[in-house]
Amino acid sequence: MGGSLIPGIQQAIMNTLQYMLFYLIFSLPLTLSYRTTKVINFAHANFITYGAYVAIFLHGIMGLNIMSVAAILAFLITGAIAVLNNVLVFTPLQKRGSSPAIIMISSMGLWIAYKYLLYMTTDIAHYYTIKNFVSYGRITYSDVPRGSVGGVELSQAFVASLITASLVVVLLYLLLEKTKIGRAMRAVADNPSLAEISGIPKSFVVNLTWFICGGIAGIGGVIWTSFSGAITPEAGDSMILQVFTVGFIGGLVSLLRTGIGAVLIAAIENVGIAILNTYFGVPVSFRPFLTFVTLITTLIVSPPLGAGGGLPYRFLKRGSRR
Amino acid sequence: MAFDMKTLALVIVVLIIGLAVGYGIAAVTGGGAVTTVTVTPEKKVYTIGFTLPLSGELSSIGKVWEKVVQLAIEDLNKEVQAYGFNVEFRSVILDDGTTAERALQNVQSFVQQGIKVVIGPAASAQVKAVKSYVDANKIVLISPSSTAPTLAIPNDYIFRTVGSDAGQAKALAALAYQEGARKVIVFYRNDEYGKAFADFFENYFREMGGTVVKLPYQTGLPDYASEVATLASKVQSEGAEAVVLIAFDTDGANILSHAAESDVLSSVRWFISEGPHGAKELLSSAVGQFASRVRLFGTRPLFIANPLYEDFKNRMVQRFGEEPGVFSENLYDAIKLAGWAILRAGTYDGEAIRAALIEVAKTYYGPSGWTIFDSAGDKAQQDYGVWAIVPGGPMGYQFKDVGLYERGSIIFLEEAYS
Amino acid sequence: MIGFDIVGFMISWLTLFGIYAILSLTLNLESGTAGITNFGKVVFYGVGAYVSATLTAYLILMLNGVDVSETPPYDIEGIILLGELGNKSPLLNIGLLVLSLMIAFAVSGSLGYLLTYPILRVGPAFVGFTLLSSGELLRIFLQHYEPVGASKGLMAIPTPFGWIADSRVREAAYLSLVLGLLALTYVVTHKLINSPLGRTLRALRDDEIAALCLGKHVPRIKATILFIGSGFAGMAGVLLAYYLTSVNPNMFVPAVTFNVWAMIILGGFGNLKGSLLGAAIITFVDRVLTFVTPQLGVTVISPDYLRWVIVGLLIVIVLLVNPKGLLPEKPIKTPALDVVLEELRGESR
Repeated sequence: MGGSLIPGIQQAIMNTLQYMLFYLIFSLPLTLSYRTTKVINFAHANFITYGAYVAIFLHGIMGLNIMSVAAILAFLITGAIAVLNNVLVFTPLQKRGSSPAIIMISSMGLWIAYKYLLYMTTDIAHYYTIKNFVSYGRITYSDVPRGSVGGVELSQAFVASLITASLVVVLLYLLLEKTKIGRAMRAVADNPSLAEISGIPKSFVVNLTWFICGGIAGIGGVIWTSFSGAITPEAGDSMILQVFTVGFIGGLVSLLRTGIGAVLIAAIENVGIAILNTYFGVPVSFRPFLTFVTLITTLIVSPPLGAGGGLPYRFLKRGSRR
Repeated sequence: MAFDMKTLALVIVVLIIGLAVGYGIAAVTGGGAVTTVTVTPEKKVYTIGFTLPLSGELSSIGKVWEKVVQLAIEDLNKEVQAYGFNVEFRSVILDDGTTAERALQNVQSFVQQGIKVVIGPAASAQVKAVKSYVDANKIVLISPSSTAPTLAIPNDYIFRTVGSDAGQAKALAALAYQEGARKVIVFYRNDEYGKAFADFFENYFREMGGTVVKLPYQTGLPDYASEVATLASKVQSEGAEAVVLIAFDTDGANILSHAAESDVLSSVRWFISEGPHGAKELLSSAVGQFASRVRLFGTRPLFIANPLYEDFKNRMVQRFGEEPGVFSENLYDAIKLAGWAILRAGTYDGEAIRAALIEVAKTYYGPSGWTIFDSAGDKAQQDYGVWAIVPGGPMGYQFKDVGLYERGSIIFLEEAYS
Repeated sequence: MIGFDIVGFMISWLTLFGIYAILSLTLNLESGTAGITNFGKVVFYGVGAYVSATLTAYLILMLNGVDVSETPPYDIEGIILLGELGNKSPLLNIGLLVLSLMIAFAVSGSLGYLLTYPILRVGPAFVGFTLLSSGELLRIFLQHYEPVGASKGLMAIPTPFGWIADSRVREAAYLSLVLGLLALTYVVTHKLINSPLGRTLRALRDDEIAALCLGKHVPRIKATILFIGSGFAGMAGVLLAYYLTSVNPNMFVPAVTFNVWAMIILGGFGNLKGSLLGAAIITFVDRVLTFVTPQLGVTVISPDYLRWVIVGLLIVIVLLVNPKGLLPEKPIKTPALDVVLEELRGESR
């Protein structure tokens, strides 16, 4: 086993695929929510974490390890949180005409509040059950099969994320292209005022979008509990920069480019670091360095235009050349 | 409109300040939720300050320690009463969130309340941040878990009831070598703790005749699948016989879970430092099965077959339903030492207590063994035990101490993996 | 309770307040007034701290004839030597303080200046992310760079007033240093904001494209502001390093930046006195909590969590209810304003 060029390449490729699936599940909803609402939502990290903790509390307190149940519950809960955020915070701010920066900062406040609310919940749960929920081990589910393809073992996480990611991609495509409500979502995304005038119930559509996006991320969190060895209330946070990077590659508007971004980042993080480590002796602890470099490079080389990014300066040269 | 907003803002501010001041006043006048003890007239009350990691990276062990403090203070009070001293010890516990700044703030608060003996903080980086303040203000500080070799500084007010990692690295090296490994990959946290440990391990293992390849990994990441993959390929390309893992609990559990899925990593031996010991995440079925497959062993500061330790462990389980995790016994002894040092000093003065502490430690034997300090104020005689993860217990798997490190070699007291 | 050292409390609280106030003033200048959403404030802070730590540790050893390639200041022998040699010469210590402040300002400021280039490319909405990522990049780099102690960091850094025998006097002297630098920062930022430049900054924040159309050289302005703001943040870092006498890469994580953001939101965007108020409130509450929480007995929930939930909710509530914060933004005080006010008063008569 193992390639000749890079030892362990097979494992690296498996990890790349696994991470690609996770990034798809986490980032597609981010892109969709931004595209429709123009809100850069820091609290997206909480959707992932809360989804994971729904599964954890089900497992730790009630001894339940059925993924389908956890997934449905997580979908409902995180979706509801997303809608709550919108109704209570984002919409009032937008009505008042606050700048996107202010709304982003408010989402940062929400992110902090939700995170520590979860910490408090783990403390309370600890008090009653003595179990430690601040750092929880991997959950083995009873309703997810392990697979085997051509001699390669597929873990539970892989099977579950493969099924989920495929479903998400297919269903989102069908929703946005074929259904009336999906077209309404696209209309609101492209031109909110026109959409409203032509009779589309904008606030309903926006809330529905938030519900779906939050829910999908929550399901991703549930699957994460079968992959990671230790989940903490900061689980979503440590991944949020990668998730945003993938979104930025998609310009935060194009779902297809987001998918490409997912593959790219997953590859850099797994195969890229393996190559750098084998041939250039770069320590493995430099892995997050690569992600950040990619983030900055993406932002600089191709900043998402839809956010008013970089427009004035693309054409501004010294001595102004028109 | 403007009137409403301004008043609302003002109300918020007044509320916060009012809460703070109100509690502050209540605290000073003793009107808080303090449990009243029937106090005989001249009973002297001594307060010991505790700065514990109740939140943050080490919170899972911090929570266990809170209970150890409770037990220790009770035991201490019972003992001094039995010896005829009319004194009572009280604890004041503060959370430092495993950060350096908060640890300093907590120590400052203790000093400003007139407390002269502080126990904690847990992490070496925190101890480094409080050292100059503690030395300047003559406060006796005892850390039960800071093991950085760079803190072995003589003539200061920092004491540690745990041996530095230099000693544990030796034990771990002996363990690996004795179990037949000659070429190992050291997979370690790239921080204070991991780096020092890895450096010492390398020195000792080389001395014994083995070879070491070091592989650091970044701390605080959500997942280590990629790092584990690199580890696997390194193991393969270097032809290593064992992996030595130096980690804390969260990253340790994550790494072991991923290693369980790798054929390469499941066919070599694994040796671990004390970091992940006691963490429940390692008792998942994935890790438990992996442990028996690779015959996983770890070292930790311990004195096995110490009847005082067994008694301490049983009482913790009885009282709180919790096994004492790593460093609990060092914490317990730190508290006892502090109490007896205060008594021996006769006055509640930092310099006197410091001198008394050194004397008391010379003759104290507790759950962590002999507590005598070396010239740098660290535990002079630190023993190490060997632990394994075996089936059993409420979670399906449990930690078990199966051997000890004595005079340069490992002695197994029982068969861990059949 | 035994007794309460109120003087000690005030000194320790005000020292930390001073350091954070410098950070909030500069953040308010950058984000509150000029609209540069700086999520990477902590990196300039950290760079300043590391500059002073490295400079002081290495120079004290070298000037005392120690060979630093044999005994570097991050190994145990070096640390013990630092402890012994650290307080020999008051002149040296104070000289190192001044040197550190100047060099930290220059280094952090230049870093801010350099980072303006990527920021200009990405546009206002992603400034935050760019700065945040750059900050993390630097932190990871420091964790691997051996000469500054890599992940172990540096410790036993000799302080500028270590030669003063009495600890209370020493603390008071340090406090005056911190407050002095705070005053300097306040004066500089106040002058910058209450000037035609300040008006331009607000224009930049509210509508960058309009400002561009009016002929303002936006890139140069942003670079200058970031240079000054980051420079002062670097000096705050120097103060922190001497205060904790140790530095470590994990001290400079994004959570520190978010804490400072909470301060300026609470206090009010664009209002300097508001930043001082915000910093004062948050540092005060933190300090008081350490006195209050032990009185609550055995806690089910760690009060630290509650504190952060409140901080997060406060940010949201303040933005919802009164985005101007506790103290609203005042008009910019320039001579032109006086003329306008005069005329208004004259007309209303």
